[in-house]
Amino acid sequence: MTLEKFFNPKSVAVIGATEDPKNITSTIITNLIEMGFAGKLVPVNPHHDEVFGLKCYPSLIEIKEQIDLTVISIHSDYVPEVLEQQAGCGIRNAIIISGGFAELGGKGVELEERIKNICRDKDIRLIGPNCIGVLDNYSNFSTSFLPWTKVKRPEKGNLGILSQSGSYVVSMMDMLSLEGIGVSKVVSYGNRADVGESELIEYLTDDELTHVIGIYMESVDDGRRFINASSNCSRSKHIVALKAGRHDSGIEAAKSHTGAIAGRYEIYKAAFRKSGIVEVNGLEEFMDACKVLLMQKPAKGNKVLVLTNGGGFGVSVSDMCSDTGLDVAHTPASIREALSEKFPEYFILKNPIDMTGSSGDEDYGIAMKSALVDNDFFDAAIIIPLMPPPTMTEGVAGIISQMAKESGKPVVICMVSGIYTEKIKAKFEEKGLPVFPSPERCVKAMSVLVERGRMNGC
Amino acid sequence: MVAKDTKFKDALKVIENVQASGRKILFPDEAMDVIKSSGISTPAYTLVKTVHEASVETKSMGFPVVLKIVSPDVLHKSDVGGVVIGVENEKEVERNYAEIMNNLFKKVPDADIMGILVEKQMPKTTEVIVGGIRDEQFGPTVMFGLGGIFVELFKDVVFRIAPVTETEALEMIKEIKGYSVLNGYRGAERLDIQQLARTVVTISELISDIGEIKEVELNPLLVYTEGVTAIDARIIIK
Repeated sequence: MTLEKFFNPKSVAVIGATEDPKNITSTIITNLIEMGFAGKLVPVNPHHDEVFGLKCYPSLIEIKEQIDLTVISIHSDYVPEVLEQQAGCGIRNAIIISGGFAELGGKGVELEERIKNICRDKDIRLIGPNCIGVLDNYSNFSTSFLPWTKVKRPEKGNLGILSQSGSYVVSMMDMLSLEGIGVSKVVSYGNRADVGESELIEYLTDDELTHVIGIYMESVDDGRRFINASSNCSRSKHIVALKAGRHDSGIEAAKSHTGAIAGRYEIYKAAFRKSGIVEVNGLEEFMDACKVLLMQKPAKGNKVLVLTNGGGFGVSVSDMCSDTGLDVAHTPASIREALSEKFPEYFILKNPIDMTGSSGDEDYGIAMKSALVDNDFFDAAIIIPLMPPPTMTEGVAGIISQMAKESGKPVVICMVSGIYTEKIKAKFEEKGLPVFPSPERCVKAMSVLVERGRMNGC
Repeated sequence: MVAKDTKFKDALKVIENVQASGRKILFPDEAMDVIKSSGISTPAYTLVKTVHEASVETKSMGFPVVLKIVSPDVLHKSDVGGVVIGVENEKEVERNYAEIMNNLFKKVPDADIMGILVEKQMPKTTEVIVGGIRDEQFGPTVMFGLGGIFVELFKDVVFRIAPVTETEALEMIKEIKGYSVLNGYRGAERLDIQQLARTVVTISELISDIGEIKEVELNPLLVYTEGVTAIDARIIIK
């Protein structure tokens, strides 16, 4: 069965609808209105006749038209009743935002069992409980209860995010908007009483607007299904996973977070490897890996050209390359000869190629033409243009991106942030070259491209 | 039990017999039977029940030998004085047999004793661990690591989802930090990494094929310049 109605519902009933700003349901509705959700929005609450100018119904039973999806954020005790009612009305999908289920243990576990049974018996598909729900950036639909004024909605793009944690997806959305990384779909599925990451990966495999999937996971819904779904998906898309709950203390915390048992971290690592998933360490690496995979293609090998006008950055990037298994191989004689004819003799031509502070925009073009475009020795390049010298102008972004395109090889830019360079960063990224603000992050991003290439990933 | 299409038919038979007896942990000789019948090399071994049997059997397999207690009530054999290595002749067999029995009588007075496993002692070499674990979430997995402190202290182990191919097994072996120990560190001879990889493959297939196995561990597996030998095995079933 398809999950389409969770992302692109034609009609949605919001249970417990209210204008009370302290109630999260009010933000769910105002967010949807603000986003310009084009489907039918139907508030349900026996205490109101109208909510935000929309006709409010006392219960689902009174609604005449077909409802595709309910959004439930009322107290957990009343959730089973709502599900029974929607089953009677033939509504087949529900997103339960409310907490108060398995994550509490004891009675909460029983309550979650009850809603699972209702959904199974009555043929209702469920996302949640204890979650943020979904954002579909193209259908303009979201169940987030956090106002877009405080968490900026990311632009439309090609990144799909799946997460057991709600706080993570919210922070990610905010960070992604700041980074200008566009998003297709976001799902926070919390306790995962029904729909989990494996089925969502299967679904996103066929979603043309999603090119990269980033997953925050504490545990897995069904290990073998996850491996099958991811192995299949990673043939045509990239999957990046951030696994939390890796050590005993984290595993304990994960259990009380979403009520799921996490298991041995080493085996997750093995599963990621089997599935063609790129595993990352921490939120920053997660963002960077998603970004680089959205903007560049995997490298065919691990021979990396490092090109700069700042010696120190060349050295530190080379060090970090060696630490991550990237080969800063010596520049072959043929390339050196070609460049020595065009460059002054104080330019250093072995890898890293250090064109010193006296080089300018055009020198980047010359170096890249000989070392990347006309020669296939290097598989990829890390370019570190330092902008302060007067010979460097914003025109360098156009020159470097043109050469990168002609070479057909993946290129990433390392540029330490400053007020002026932020502007240049935007120029590079407009042209499709990802910029990372430190040698560490830049090298890590490149190593993701090399790792994906080694897996024979798309 | 339904007949299964597996190349581990003899191993399955041993396991089914243990299941029928209601035990969850195989006796050392049964575990060795599973390993041997799966095509992994083991030293000569046999379970004896009397001193006389011990003398006869050790004479025919040749010295030195190792004696190990076999009892469902003893999990850690060395902790109760249940293992003697370097037994060089018939006289020592008799003396050590008596001593093991005496140790058991003192330390675990009510222990059920199945007998003593006599095993031909193998020359010293590098020890590794190869294991199979049926994970609750991901199903059968295979593990590899160097033996002894490398595993205990440095947790230098690597896992894969089972079954693995020989190429994947070789990758696993090369992935551990202590790989150079196997690959001819400081002029030492390179050990038989190919045969080690094949053993990893076999264990990965064994745990994938036989759903009854919860955990299997060759600890240690001895790795020589030619060939590998499993001298102790532990198998837990569902």
